[in-house]
Amino acid sequence: MIEPVPPGFIFILGAILIPLLRLRGNLRQLYLLLIPVVGFIDLLYLEPGTSWIYRFLGYDLVFARVDRLSLAMGYIFVIIGFLAVLYSLHVEEDGQHVAAFLYVGSSLGVVFAGDYFTLFAFWEIMAVTSVFLIWYRREKESLEAGFRYVLMHIFGGCSLLTGIIIHIVSHGFTPVGPLAGGWASDFILMGFGLNTAFIPIHTWLPDSYPQGTVTGSVFLSVYTTKTGVYALARCFSGADMVAYMGGIMAVYGILYALLQNDTRKLLSYHIISQVGYMIAGIGVGSALGVNGGIAHLVNNILYKSLLFMCMGSVIYVTGKRKLTELGGLAGLMPLTCITCIIASLSISGGPGFNGFVSKGMVISSAAAAHRPILELMLILASVGTFLSFTKLCYFTFFAKNEAIEAKEPPFNMQLAMILTAFSCVFIGIYPRVLFNVLPSPVHYHPYTFSHVVGVVQLFLLAGLVFMAAKAALSPHEGIVLDFDYFYRTMCRGIAWLCTAPLNGLRLRTQGFFSREVRGITGLSRNPISMPEIAIKHVHLKMLKLLRESARSPEERMRELEEMRSRLDEIRKMAYDENAYRGPMGLGILLAIIFLFLYGLIYFTAS
Amino acid sequence: MLVVIVCIPLGFLTEHEHAVFPWHTIPSMDAIFGALGALLLIGAIKIVGSFASREEDFYD
Repeated sequence: MIEPVPPGFIFILGAILIPLLRLRGNLRQLYLLLIPVVGFIDLLYLEPGTSWIYRFLGYDLVFARVDRLSLAMGYIFVIIGFLAVLYSLHVEEDGQHVAAFLYVGSSLGVVFAGDYFTLFAFWEIMAVTSVFLIWYRREKESLEAGFRYVLMHIFGGCSLLTGIIIHIVSHGFTPVGPLAGGWASDFILMGFGLNTAFIPIHTWLPDSYPQGTVTGSVFLSVYTTKTGVYALARCFSGADMVAYMGGIMAVYGILYALLQNDTRKLLSYHIISQVGYMIAGIGVGSALGVNGGIAHLVNNILYKSLLFMCMGSVIYVTGKRKLTELGGLAGLMPLTCITCIIASLSISGGPGFNGFVSKGMVISSAAAAHRPILELMLILASVGTFLSFTKLCYFTFFAKNEAIEAKEPPFNMQLAMILTAFSCVFIGIYPRVLFNVLPSPVHYHPYTFSHVVGVVQLFLLAGLVFMAAKAALSPHEGIVLDFDYFYRTMCRGIAWLCTAPLNGLRLRTQGFFSREVRGITGLSRNPISMPEIAIKHVHLKMLKLLRESARSPEERMRELEEMRSRLDEIRKMAYDENAYRGPMGLGILLAIIFLFLYGLIYFTAS
Repeated sequence: MLVVIVCIPLGFLTEHEHAVFPWHTIPSMDAIFGALGALLLIGAIKIVGSFASREEDFYD
């Protein structure tokens, strides 16, 4: 019997082997699919408790802390990893697969990390590997967005590390667990909050995710934000600030999603909104809330990656990414259209789809914990979600567009979409399978008469408003400014400060010092000649001064010239060690003299 | 339209299982939420769109 290993290691090892094995064709595709399968089997054998502990610099690093929460996360991460790999099987470039597998592996590393240092290490690997999924698109805007993404994640990482160090200094090397207030928890919350896209440090998400490769964005939409949610569930469950931040994110994300024209940017804002639901549940902190948050996480991973797959397929086939350029694809891409509608109904929380179950849990938990404003915010966000996806589906698939040409994407992409759509519906109809893996026992019945009727009413009336106000919701060319406006103008200011005033100061300082240094270099070329130069210099000056010399002026001039040329000669003379080396006897003589003097003093004194 | 007409009275037949806030007791409250929420959001995006909209190449 082989010992199970931390599942992250399987993906990381698998990633390293991709370029080494140099497999091609079907064998390569089989190998890529095999890694998540092995990962899943490994998960089944993981025993609850902590294992894979390594002592490093006096700290016990824990690589496999297994409990219900980490297992639930592990299962969904590995399952969606499989589906996303299936979706990207046609990609020939090894580098993209390596980046994706390292990204998945490090996310799993975070989930199973038992201590803060291990968590931090995997956290950073995640940031570094994920950016390649953006850069591999190889377009100017992807490169730039990738840099902004990395900069913000480095900021978050530094904040997290600061918090972790303060925490370890003040509380000792504790396992990852609930944090009480103080500087440490504030910094750690900021680090986690950046990855979960807290407002206003969310701008990296809608900025970079639409710029990823078609397949890379599917991975991106899953791992970074969800590991953040997981970390919040571990450390900040029951924090009011987190709950209300969730409500704000849910509404803010919807508001901006409704204003977008780029399809994947629209979906990115929905990630913020959906993550808002999750952390609202986690912030409420009750068993129902945390269960709801994690259930929503699992469901969201499924339908959100399905949405990214569908929109990725549309971009892959048509090359168009703006709602104003799309339309009329329902007949040309029926499968993509149907799966997109399934995903839209799931994310909106339609009865029979997975979002219905978990969204209901989160909203009920807010009500049960007597947080009326939070509940209303979440209801408003669910109205907005429905509106936004009605808009997305309508303008992508049903709006009139005669000019567009399209066909269904490659088979592996279709298969991945079908399987993901199936799992959305399966969990919607049979939620018990989801409830069984949640952190605590679930006593929630989603399919009550009032809940179903309520949601249907909500949809119908919101739909009516959509039909009536379609013009107001129709997409427009252009972008809508977000908080990154402030970051970008501030950073441009810093760049100006560096190039104009600070660079000027640098140039002046440099000029001054290089003049001085040049003078000193001349002298230091042959330091031993310095006394001679000084003597000759003084001599020259003296001769000039003694005007009433006995000799004739011509003779004096000649003498002066001779002096000058001698001085120049000395100046130009390079240092030659042998020219100054005294005989060995001199050294011995000096030593004897000093020894004699030392002895004289010693004996006379004593 | 027909579904809407059928669905609203259905709301009067149901009752919220765990009514906590006053609005949980109003029949067909979700329909009101749906309509009001949609109008509120459309109003909000009109306002945000009016001052935050820019050309595509604004940052270049």
